[in-house]
Amino acid sequence: MPHPASSPPQSPRSVAIVGAGIVGMSAAHFLSRAGWQVTVYDAGAPASGATGSADGAVSIASKKPGPLMTLAVAAVRFYEHLTETGILGDEYLPRSTFVVASDQEELGVLERHASHLEASGVSIRLLKGAALTGAIGAAAPSAIAAVEVQGEGHAVGYRVVERLRRLGGFPIRRNCRVSGFNFSKGRIVGVVTEDGVEPTDAVLLATGLGSASFLSGLGPIRPRKGQLIVTDRAGADAPSFPGPLMSCRYLVSKGSQAAPGVTESRSLGLVIDPLRTGQFLIGGSREDRDDRETTDADVVATLLRDAVELAPSLAQLRVIRVFAGLRAATSDGLPIVGRVGGAENLWIATGFEGDGICLGPLMGRLCQQMICGEPVAHDISSLDAARFGLSLATAA
Amino acid sequence: MSAEVLVIGGGPAGASAALHLARAGLHVTLCEQGPRLGGALHRQPDDPAQRIRVPRAQSQRWRALSTALEASSVQILCRHMFAGIEGGGTVLLEDRASGRLVTRRPAALVLALGAVERVTPLPGWQLPGVTTVGGLQVMMKSTGQAPDGDVLVAGSGPLLLALAAQMAALGKAPVAVLERSPKLVSPSVIASLITAPAYLREASHYLLALARAGALPQHGTWVRAISPRDGRLAVTIVDRHGRDRELVVDRVALHDGLLPNQNGTAAPSNGPFVVRAGDCREVLGGVAAMADGRHAAKAVLAHLGRSTEAEPSATRVLSRERRAQAAINALYDYSGADPAWLPDETVICRCEGRTLGQLRDLLASSDPVSAREIKLNGRFGMGACQGRFCAEWVAAFIAAQRDGEPPAVSEIIGSRWPVKPVPISAFVTLPPSRPSE
Ligand SMILES: Cc1cc2nc3c(=O)[nH]c(=O)nc-3n(C[C@H](O)[C@H](O)[C@H](O)COP(=O)(O)OP(=O)(O)OC[C@H]3O[C@@H](n4cnc5c(N)ncnc54)[C@H](O)[C@@H]3O)c2cc1C
Ligand SMILES: Cc1cc2nc3c(=O)[nH]c(=O)nc-3n(C[C@H](O)[C@H](O)[C@H](O)COP(=O)(O)OP(=O)(O)OC[C@H]3O[C@@H](n4cnc5c(N)ncnc54)[C@H](O)[C@@H]3O)c2cc1C
Repeated sequence: MPHPASSPPQSPRSVAIVGAGIVGMSAAHFLSRAGWQVTVYDAGAPASGATGSADGAVSIASKKPGPLMTLAVAAVRFYEHLTETGILGDEYLPRSTFVVASDQEELGVLERHASHLEASGVSIRLLKGAALTGAIGAAAPSAIAAVEVQGEGHAVGYRVVERLRRLGGFPIRRNCRVSGFNFSKGRIVGVVTEDGVEPTDAVLLATGLGSASFLSGLGPIRPRKGQLIVTDRAGADAPSFPGPLMSCRYLVSKGSQAAPGVTESRSLGLVIDPLRTGQFLIGGSREDRDDRETTDADVVATLLRDAVELAPSLAQLRVIRVFAGLRAATSDGLPIVGRVGGAENLWIATGFEGDGICLGPLMGRLCQQMICGEPVAHDISSLDAARFGLSLATAA
Repeated sequence: MSAEVLVIGGGPAGASAALHLARAGLHVTLCEQGPRLGGALHRQPDDPAQRIRVPRAQSQRWRALSTALEASSVQILCRHMFAGIEGGGTVLLEDRASGRLVTRRPAALVLALGAVERVTPLPGWQLPGVTTVGGLQVMMKSTGQAPDGDVLVAGSGPLLLALAAQMAALGKAPVAVLERSPKLVSPSVIASLITAPAYLREASHYLLALARAGALPQHGTWVRAISPRDGRLAVTIVDRHGRDRELVVDRVALHDGLLPNQNGTAAPSNGPFVVRAGDCREVLGGVAAMADGRHAAKAVLAHLGRSTEAEPSATRVLSRERRAQAAINALYDYSGADPAWLPDETVICRCEGRTLGQLRDLLASSDPVSAREIKLNGRFGMGACQGRFCAEWVAAFIAAQRDGEPPAVSEIIGSRWPVKPVPISAFVTLPPSRPSE
């Protein structure tokens, strides 16, 4: 559902991008390449939001069947494309993800999810017996089955942002919160910050959790906290992990597959992610809380108990850091990408919850296409802000 | 039952705080990560028969304190490492003997973690065989033996003198002691130390021992670089006339001053009342640490609504020691090698092997990159030590590159728990607080 920008003003046209997370920085890159004069504003610094406190699964394995899974397939291809064209350097690391079942109940969930992945055209391998032992037996001896999801990978959100910053072409205003806009004839004509008002021809809100303050009505965007654990490096004699191990329970925790009786405000889903540095990132929780400064021993210990149960060799490592991040979650689990009522030249891309590292670059590209009035390469009608009746808060 | 107070750190500050809290009738637990109490200054040997000589007044002070502590009701837990205060306000302790993580919810927490040793980067400081002066001293105090081979001691501060003299007393004086500061003890410093004559006595003993061993400190001399050579270390030394010379040794011990240990000890609002004591509050030395422990005890008692007596003598000791430390520090030069001279290959973060070139590169653009971006993308402060050994230097370097815009060290150094790496095998011993799904 492309929306051409009405009556494009004289070039070079200027666009203000609010938010220097992976989504805003990707959009900035593509808009700048498309000849726009781009300014990025961030209340903190690049990647100071969710992008800087995330894992980096560029992954289809955990996606909910439906539009999100379809878009994730396209998003992974887009990472490959950005790698081939040199834009991302070597920030994207292709690798398989292993979704692991440890008991019969989990096996049921695994088989159901595998069929959804296949239906979306994802290449998978169901591993049992000798194939299972050969692939992940050393890492996860007690697994009874696994699905290897092929053709996906990993990218560190803040490193992608740094790469795009270095490619440059636009200024970034750090510590510069956008508090509102100036309007004329139904259009935004100025961005209001502490430093004054700067004129602009278009605005993209890529403000993650900060988006709520720009929107009227009860915000559909809620913080969903995640806690992650970083270990030290594994020794040379440690069993090798061919890719991240994701417990089937993770799918349930993420809401990608249903399971009876999981309704609490906190859920834990285990992912053991071997990083390029030789360290592991172990996550994560999903909690309806908004404090990103604190991390709890209870959550950490529970995750680690599950981790060691699945991969006993982890017990030899040490925790060097625990951190938390806040995902911007929507009530229907889908991002919000498109126009916002209240101004003709305003777009939004937010609500990526736990999928924004994967989807971010592609969404930045699609935002550029929308703002340029070009055809949009993928169907994102299900992400339209109209489903929540969103419009710009007048008091902004 | 009285409220529990947890004291962390079995040095003079922690021991003194614990003793005074117990005397006031509180239920006190004292945790020390090492196998014995004593801290950095009064570290006790593994084998009591193998003990290195320390000034008599110093050992008497500790003996008096530790005897009183033993007679008190303080519960002492050695090999217990304070791992931090987690988000729910619970204190985490790693019991290193049993390999378990245990939790406590004390009414108050006294942090007496001591100081961390500063070493400023120079080419080759990450090589095996290069240690800190304090590290070498800990080894000597524990084993009662001086290290084998030729040792070079370099950097700045009174600790150089103490280590070198202790080595000389064991018959193995360092091959050279290089003190960066060109200053010698002056009459004005002696004048300001008159109220703390123990330091003068200690210094003169050390100097005498070193003079006898022919290893007096060479002032105005510093190490430019260290490189490996045939299993030993080739050290380029700059003398006070700016001339280079080379010395080949087996070990190099470096030191550039002490800083309060504040890593990872941020206290959440729902946690216990937290007071710091001793060198981890302000680096003032062992005598001040004992007095500061009394101050910390008083603050805890006041917080718990107990009546307390004023501590005029502790306050007096602290201000006297503060003056003495200021006078001593004026003699030293803790700045380390001028970063402008350091080659790009110089390792800055030894945990992650990150170099000065990588730091310079991050700062090269006109973009005012934030400290957090430098941390994330440069990985400075991201390694196992979480910035304990490089954050302060990196922050100062950034500040120097950007005149007048110093970033907060806290943006690089971790304020999170765990304070130090904790084995996963210890975490999994925490009992689940609720039935798992
Ligand atoms: C623990 C955790 C693990 C995750 N793991 C993964 C994963 O493995 N794979 C994956 O794909 N995704 C993962 N995610 C999700 C991913 O991190 C996010 O979806 C993604 O980073 C969102 O990017 P963004 O650019 O939309 O938002 P953000 O990165 O939050 O950026 C928004 C920016 O807007 C700025 N801002 C807000 N308001 C204003 C204002 N008024 N003025 C100026 N600036 C403003 C903020 O300062 C911020 O920098 C994870 C998230 C968390 C928390
Ligand atoms: C390496 C070094 C060498 C020194 N050598 C001399 C010297 O030769 N002469 C001199 O006059 N002064 C010396 N000092 C200074 C002197 O030791 C201090 O001023 C004095 O010991 C301060 O006492 P304190 O109780 O504050 O700390 P310390 O004596 O350092 O005691 C702190 C204690 O806390 C423990 N600890 C730290 N972290 C944790 C944790 N997370 N969990 C549990 N326990 C923990 C440590 O193991 C230590 O036992 C030295 C300092 C250092 C750091």
